[in-house]
Amino acid sequence: MTIPSITAQDILDQAESLRPQLKEGFRDEIVKSLYSEAARISGRAVHQVGNTKWDFDQKIDRLVTSPWTGLPIMLLLLAGVFWVTIVFANIPSQMIATALFWIEDQAANLFTSIGAPWWLTGFIWHGVYRGLAWVIAVMLPPMAIFFPIFTILEDLGYLPRVAFNLDWLFKRAGAHGKQALSMAMGFGCNAAGVISTRVIDSPRERLIAILTNNFVPCNGRFPTLIMLATVFVAASFSPTVSSFIAAGAVLAVVLIGVFFTLLMSWILSRTVLKGEASAFTLELPPYRKPNFSRILYTSLIDRTIFVLWRAIKTAAPAGALIWILANININGVSLAREIANFLNPFGLLLGLDGVIMLAYIIAIPANEIVVPTMMMVYSGVGMMTEITGFGEIRALLIDGNGWTMLTAINLMLFSLLHNPCGTTIWTIYKETKSTKWTVLSVVITLGTAFLVTFITASIARLLGWV
Amino acid sequence: MTNMITSACDTCPAHTQMAQMGLKIDNFDRVVALAGNPNTGKSTVFNALTGLKQHTGNWPGKTVTRAEGGYEFQSVKYKLVDLPGTYSLLSASQDEEVARNFILFGQPDCTIVVTDATALERNLNLALQVMEITDKVVIAVNLMDEARRKGLEVDTRSLARDLGVPAIPIVARTSEGMQTLLQTVADVIEGNILTSPLRMEGNDQYQAAVRTLAAQIEHLYPAIPNARWLAIRLLDGDDRVQQAILSGEVAELVSGQQRAEAQFSKQMAVAGRQ
Amino acid sequence: MDHLFPIIFWSSAVLLLLLLIFFPRRGMLARFKEYRQARQREQLEDTLKYLFGGQQSGHTLSAAELAASLQQPVARTVDLLKRMETQQLIENQEGNYRLTHSGEKSALHVVRAHRLWERYLADEALMPLENVHSMAHRREHGMTVAQVNALDAALGHPLQDPHGDPIPNASGNFRPHDQGSPLPQWQEGKIVKIVHLEDEPPLAFAQILAAGLQVGQVMRVMESNATRLVLTDGQDEFTLAPQVAANVFVSERSETAIVDEDVIPLGELADNQKAEIVRLDDQCMGFTRRRFLDLGFTPGTEIFPELQNSFGDPRAYRLRGTLIALRKEQAAQILVRPQLYQ
Repeated sequence: MTIPSITAQDILDQAESLRPQLKEGFRDEIVKSLYSEAARISGRAVHQVGNTKWDFDQKIDRLVTSPWTGLPIMLLLLAGVFWVTIVFANIPSQMIATALFWIEDQAANLFTSIGAPWWLTGFIWHGVYRGLAWVIAVMLPPMAIFFPIFTILEDLGYLPRVAFNLDWLFKRAGAHGKQALSMAMGFGCNAAGVISTRVIDSPRERLIAILTNNFVPCNGRFPTLIMLATVFVAASFSPTVSSFIAAGAVLAVVLIGVFFTLLMSWILSRTVLKGEASAFTLELPPYRKPNFSRILYTSLIDRTIFVLWRAIKTAAPAGALIWILANININGVSLAREIANFLNPFGLLLGLDGVIMLAYIIAIPANEIVVPTMMMVYSGVGMMTEITGFGEIRALLIDGNGWTMLTAINLMLFSLLHNPCGTTIWTIYKETKSTKWTVLSVVITLGTAFLVTFITASIARLLGWV
Repeated sequence: MTNMITSACDTCPAHTQMAQMGLKIDNFDRVVALAGNPNTGKSTVFNALTGLKQHTGNWPGKTVTRAEGGYEFQSVKYKLVDLPGTYSLLSASQDEEVARNFILFGQPDCTIVVTDATALERNLNLALQVMEITDKVVIAVNLMDEARRKGLEVDTRSLARDLGVPAIPIVARTSEGMQTLLQTVADVIEGNILTSPLRMEGNDQYQAAVRTLAAQIEHLYPAIPNARWLAIRLLDGDDRVQQAILSGEVAELVSGQQRAEAQFSKQMAVAGRQ
Repeated sequence: MDHLFPIIFWSSAVLLLLLLIFFPRRGMLARFKEYRQARQREQLEDTLKYLFGGQQSGHTLSAAELAASLQQPVARTVDLLKRMETQQLIENQEGNYRLTHSGEKSALHVVRAHRLWERYLADEALMPLENVHSMAHRREHGMTVAQVNALDAALGHPLQDPHGDPIPNASGNFRPHDQGSPLPQWQEGKIVKIVHLEDEPPLAFAQILAAGLQVGQVMRVMESNATRLVLTDGQDEFTLAPQVAANVFVSERSETAIVDEDVIPLGELADNQKAEIVRLDDQCMGFTRRRFLDLGFTPGTEIFPELQNSFGDPRAYRLRGTLIALRKEQAAQILVRPQLYQ
């Protein structure tokens, strides 16, 4: 007996012809019967024996998402996290700085005493080592405090509630509510934030989330904001309230970032990424008890050390570069000073100065080293080495280099809004596979940064504040 | 890597039979897939078994690509693949594709469906779908502590009886029930436990259509393990399955499991990067 | 020196202009060529579509009729038809044109692309139905078979476009479907299901949409006479002029009850009011529908709005033991019956 041979195409054709015979809504029927079977089986296996604590989760949810208390609680939580970070990072930061710069002095003296050439001592200790010392002193303490707190909130299940609370704003901006999730991840690291936009199914809304993620200040930029908020904004207040003022200033910067995220999303969704909102469904998972050893591991090893190590890898060559620039003299003026002077008019236009611009250019691979780079250029050029606390930083910047409140505020704004760091740009390229969107992500952030700082600087000057 | 093994074993109750192997998955004897809804603690199970430190954030869609790790149990080496959390395998969104394709074409020796004891109804929907694809399924009923806290009593024996596959209560966070889970997985793979998964029945017309197609698929690819499921997917117009049938990729479901797995891993690695 | 300046200026201006015009691929000339090719392709595809439409209803078309449909001079249309004849897409039969076998295949491809685009625009882009046709008309051209298949798969192999017209499958077959008959042919008291809404002429179509009719709705004919036609879905009444109603195609439904009167959209459910899901809106198709089903929004499921935020939108609903947040737009697509006893 011969069986007529069947080809793969025959099977597909057969399926095509069988399909219309089935009832309309064939899929609906499959899913419905799956769920009713699941309900039947679980109904037999699960029994409610008591009603202990069942309402606890719901009570918390009613509180953190309620029309009256939802948003205030969210802001208070955020401010609280910043406050704790600022208060507890301050003293360790100063201690680390003192210790590391003491080592620099001792080591440099040792090198000199054994007759090492001046350029070797300078390059290694005042260049490479100083870059590392700055990065560790400025970044490690805030991160080691911020990351664990943030990870606890993440593991508890609070982030989807934030997305729930803010979704309406994103809807108005033509974006997806889950963008709030990717923004929250952006607080840790913008590259991670860009990757986490994969939770958004619609390509249009996902691109919006990717292009605007950088308006959330990542952990690499937090130390800059915290330092500026502490040294400038809060310094004129009494010590009892200054930490609250600093936390408030950081919160204000973050809210400005959220504002620009929404504004840019709105602009994008009405211009290059035009379209309607896609279907929005968001699961609010039950709260889970965080596992503390896991949180410490994730926040300290996966996150803090990861970000710090990346910063260190760029800080060492940056330190070396700055030392070289500061020690190559042309007509008696160092190359660093020469470049800074060249960039100065442009910097001043934005309410900043040439050294800050130079620091930003050197720090393109990793934004987190902007402040350290800046401090090195200032101190390297001005030959001032002993900086052990925020007081000295203030003195160096204001008295030594003519900083004003405008410089500090505009630097905070610039740091918030300017282009993504090298890693993030590369991640955006990998996620979008498009040069066009990658370039756009840089152009819109940098454009916003220039525009906003230019406007604030012009207003301040017009009104005679500076 | 060594410190991971010692530190994580503080929580293993009987670590004599089991060793976490982290990323050492070069030569393994068995492949086990971890499927489940989002937020059921899949990543926690994965970490507890492999000793790896996959991050376990509590928000939907956290694991977008799959992670791999290894463990050893009774001197058999297992590769464990953590699939993205999904509610279903039907919608064909990116994460569902990854999960579905691995369970079908990756041919794991066993699939563990991690379920949330406090929302079993929702979770069983996925379990039933996985059981349509493969016989080798073990249900891990996770978060038993949460269920107790909420005053819920889960009868896993009733569950196993109704589903036709083993159901093991666990608390992944404290590694409670992990040994039993691993023993069961081993038994299912070795054939010491025979499963007879519950399969959905539709109306007669549907049954007839599925039977017709399944017979043709079996004719074209004799000894194929899941012709019925493929038939259902074809009736639903599943593009990926259509392609697999046309290209003959389905034939690999029958022969050369390891090879198919290796090749598929490569494909998925590419797909995962997209 | 002074006399040199105008020469430099003008010569560089001319050079720039020449570049602007003749630059390969980016210049105006190249752009224009590209545009003309695309336009020709569009007209060719439209011609195929019109001929196909004519053949479906059993007649062939003349060059003059086609020119009117394409809105271009007859002479240019004749050129186009000649080109198509040499490509063996059409054949001339005593002044009237009909599709060859390969022409029919190409026509089916275009029809398929058009209807799939309509489905996409209506379901995924949530575009209002009256704009769907013209937008799809713009997008349907120049697509490869693979692209159309991908679109089909992404939409979950829909059987009908939003007007109720069948979508041909990849091998070019129409799935059998219920074509229905014009509404004015039905007597009072009959229960009917809308299976097709004719989108030409646009004016009548706009009136149908304005009245609130959709494909898939089940209605009872309340009144049918020479002056007007009244339908009801159990809640609202819909009144149409007979000539408009002639563009609504319906088929018979055996159900005695139409739609339950106590069914409301989920979005209108009061906070904390328990309800049971009755069905998903017929207009909710494609990925959204699949996602809803997968999340467990299946008929018979108990649901209640548990959380609302500061803006009142979205709300989070408790369903099968989980909280799921939906925006107003999504909640409007799920129909529920409130449970009056609490």
